[in-house]
Amino acid sequence: MTELILQTVVNAVYAASYMSLIAVGLVLIFGVMGVINFAHGELYMAGAYTVVALYSQVGVPFFVTVVAGLIFVGLLGLLMEQSFFKPLRDNPLGGLIASIGFLLILQTSAVLGFGVRMAHIRPPTQAKFELIEGVVLTHQRLFVIIAAIVLLSLLHLFLRKTKFGWAMRACAQDREAAALQGISLSQISRIAMFIGAGLAGVAGALTAPLVSPTPYMGHSVIVTAFIIIIVGGIGQLEGAVVAAVLYAFVHTFVTTFYDGVVADITGLLLMLLVLVIKPTGLFGTKERA
Amino acid sequence: MLLELRDIHVHYNKVAALKGVSIQVPSDGIVTMIGANGAGKSTTLRAISGLTPVTSGEIWFDGERIDTLPADKVVARGIAHVPEGRRIFPDLTVEENLRTGAFLRTQRAEVEGDLEDVFGRFPRLKERRRQWAKTMSGGEQQMVAIGRALMSKPRLLLLDEPSMGLAPVIIQEIVRIIEAIVKQGVPVVLVEQNAELALNVASYAYVLETGTVSLAGAADDLHENEHVKRAYLGV
Repeated sequence: MTELILQTVVNAVYAASYMSLIAVGLVLIFGVMGVINFAHGELYMAGAYTVVALYSQVGVPFFVTVVAGLIFVGLLGLLMEQSFFKPLRDNPLGGLIASIGFLLILQTSAVLGFGVRMAHIRPPTQAKFELIEGVVLTHQRLFVIIAAIVLLSLLHLFLRKTKFGWAMRACAQDREAAALQGISLSQISRIAMFIGAGLAGVAGALTAPLVSPTPYMGHSVIVTAFIIIIVGGIGQLEGAVVAAVLYAFVHTFVTTFYDGVVADITGLLLMLLVLVIKPTGLFGTKERA
Repeated sequence: MLLELRDIHVHYNKVAALKGVSIQVPSDGIVTMIGANGAGKSTTLRAISGLTPVTSGEIWFDGERIDTLPADKVVARGIAHVPEGRRIFPDLTVEENLRTGAFLRTQRAEVEGDLEDVFGRFPRLKERRRQWAKTMSGGEQQMVAIGRALMSKPRLLLLDEPSMGLAPVIIQEIVRIIEAIVKQGVPVVLVEQNAELALNVASYAYVLETGTVSLAGAADDLHENEHVKRAYLGV
């Protein structure tokens, strides 16, 4: 029993890692630009298919494809910003609808390029640590955990220690006042879009060997990501990380000890509970102007 | 003239907010705009700094036409705007707030020097440099907002209702600070509902009424004007 609980903890830490990468990107984009990026799950999918294309089909080394996934999906984010978020800046609903359109484009492209079936990817390594008797952590999962810690720490340093980091937080808090400091919302939005999309791309690339990508894998991810950012408090980056950990633990434990459907329901109940007790989310303050 | 507005019209969704405002600001001293709520004072400042698009008319700053520039480009020309309600960044520290004011500047050493200069002006901000700006009192937040504007090394400072919501003793402190800034060679456009205060510190004044300039003149003269006395000074 102890082993099972410990193993579940390990699994939950893994789930929390990749979910925080996705949720933080979504929150960053919403915070700076005020739009809900519905295509975020498909950016994650695009990261996974970068690995399918380059690693499985061409044979590029795995970690090179992960970096390629970050850059490629980051550029997809830039494309989204330039092609519709920017022209629809004063129309958040329009941005949301356009992002749904982009979701369909990405999904269809994946179907046309790779087919609707699951792509099985041979993991770059089968090695694992046996933490204690009966509790294992595969290297592949460890990569995801390390990547999440490293990338989110770097993002934190960027936001707290650099001029563009302050500018990004300033835009998220008061766009007009930020413009009065000479901060260009377009420039900051491009950076936010690249980072937010790139983080989803890395999550997709690193988890691809573990989840068997399909063109529709973004759906479940985006629903989970929405639950996480609502629980954490919309627009709160720290909230997204804490909520991802909370959600991952609840979901993983319920899945292990009951079953997956009950776990999904529990996740939604968790969101409902937070909304009843603290409607702004765990870390949320009052609504922004 | 450092700044000149020529027959500026501004509309918010077809409703005219400014109906031909012309204003001149020399390169020293304080020019004030007084008027009732909704007279168009804040809109005039927003038009200058590029936050609100101008329907017609021209704005010239130091020989350059600026009425078509977006806000972030106007700052680059040297106009700093302390907006109504201060609009500091609540979840940035005091120091981060000040440093965002220097966003466009590239000379690091100069920026550090100006930061020390702002801390010299506002010793209380130095003590609280690592505090979240939202935890500061109203007067301190106004100091953060003015300090942030100074960090852009402006050639012209626009102040929108700096006295709003502050206790009289704090207002006196803010006035002293504004006068010190002007003495050091940065001209100020001051928008105020507190006409007594505005006419006392300014050298020239415009009275705005329903989107037009109804009166203009030396501040001392307007202070003695019967209409101004009745409508704005309450005597």
